[in-house]
Amino acid sequence: MPNIIHYRDKCIGCGICYEMMPMVWRMSKKDGKATLLKSELKKKTYVLQIDDSLVEDSKKVAEACPVKIIKVNK
Amino acid sequence: MKKEIELLAPAGSFESLHAAIQAGANAVYFGVEQLNMRAKSINSFALSDLAQIKKLCSKHSIKTYITLNTVMYEHDMQILKTILKEVKKQKIDAVIAADFAVMEYCKQLKIPVQISTQANVSNIESVKFFASFSDAVVLARELTLKQVKQITNEISRKKIKGVSGNLMRIEIFVHGALCMAISGKCYLSLHTQNSSANRGACNQNCRHAYKVIDQETNEELMIDNEYIMSPKDLCTIDILDKIIDSGVVILKIEGRGKGPEYVYTVTKIYKEALKAIEENNYTKEKIEQWKIALEKVYNRGFWEGYYLGRKLGEWTENPGSAATEKKVYVGKGKKYFSKAKIGEFVIETGTIKMGDSLMITSPDFGIHTQNIERLVVNGVDATVAVKGDSITIPIERKITSRDKLYKIVEA
Repeated sequence: MPNIIHYRDKCIGCGICYEMMPMVWRMSKKDGKATLLKSELKKKTYVLQIDDSLVEDSKKVAEACPVKIIKVNK
Repeated sequence: MKKEIELLAPAGSFESLHAAIQAGANAVYFGVEQLNMRAKSINSFALSDLAQIKKLCSKHSIKTYITLNTVMYEHDMQILKTILKEVKKQKIDAVIAADFAVMEYCKQLKIPVQISTQANVSNIESVKFFASFSDAVVLARELTLKQVKQITNEISRKKIKGVSGNLMRIEIFVHGALCMAISGKCYLSLHTQNSSANRGACNQNCRHAYKVIDQETNEELMIDNEYIMSPKDLCTIDILDKIIDSGVVILKIEGRGKGPEYVYTVTKIYKEALKAIEENNYTKEKIEQWKIALEKVYNRGFWEGYYLGRKLGEWTENPGSAATEKKVYVGKGKKYFSKAKIGEFVIETGTIKMGDSLMITSPDFGIHTQNIERLVVNGVDATVAVKGDSITIPIERKITSRDKLYKIVEA
């Protein structure tokens, strides 16, 4: 199953991921960084398994992230 | 009354913070977490570092200014409050702000504010406006010294006081990188890579070389310098007397993204120059020497910015630094033998030999430089060490495994 990986530490909180895919991303009110909804924390990175139908949009999000901390694996 | 001039140095890491202290800075500025103009920098401080930064600076009677000067979004409000709470707790001397939300929260919490250059304040009315929120203003970098002087004169004449009740203090940049755009108004990085300079994620498009092509004819225009958007760096070492004369009281050095050797060299030289001015000993010969020393560390070539009224920027001719010296990473610290004052290092890349000029950067002491006068490689006296070797050298500074070893070579 494809997944999204989020290296959250280096997030600068620009909010583009949330703008592009609000069903997957939220801006944390606590620390102003992006949160990958329903993801699992694995060794400091957040991982979310996604449906095939979300891969294309997720890749666009990964591309748009200014600090390149989002990866999409198919 | 003698005017106290404050030399404000950048601290993007503990190494640079120590380097600023070593070099005699009166104040340092730094960012934590993501809400500062160097959010993308690898070495940014965490909120939990504030206590240590403050402790270290207090010990050396150095003022601490925290940058919270990005564009702020709604989702940043909570982390902003969290940061400000800690700023208040740690008694950080001021917050450098550009967004009104930051100013408002600081006002509520009674935290002193300095208005960031991101707000590009360019006239006395703006200073007056910001006086109800702040105690100091960093003016736009595009003003001439004549304009700066008008502003400082008006502050005295109209007795424009800040929140503290003291006259507003004016700060300007004296050294370091300049933008092709007016402070805080560049969207190049955002438009091309979605990476906003105003959220601390500038990708420095302006530093690239460009071709200019006429799209109608497809002909490339002849330009004398492909770095059409990359200004040279600001250097005011030869007009520092005029800078002081303009009535500014805080002199800022740019460079939170630069290394500790840069912070040390630039801060030390400006400190010396300020002392020379104070002692009526600011000579051409000294200025020449200082310029040569400043050219050794990162620079894109120098000009004096807009301060003397030059209309067009001077563009750099280099893709990167024009520094006359560079540091080459060779390895890291391993162990320190306190009694013998010997440091052990592991060479991870390249070679070093007797007579080489070494630099050690450390989060515990900043920078240390020395020449190799005695070298022991893998337990035996030697003249050269290569990758994989363990070396010991006499060194006064206590080194640890967190320290990095460089050699200084001609660029």
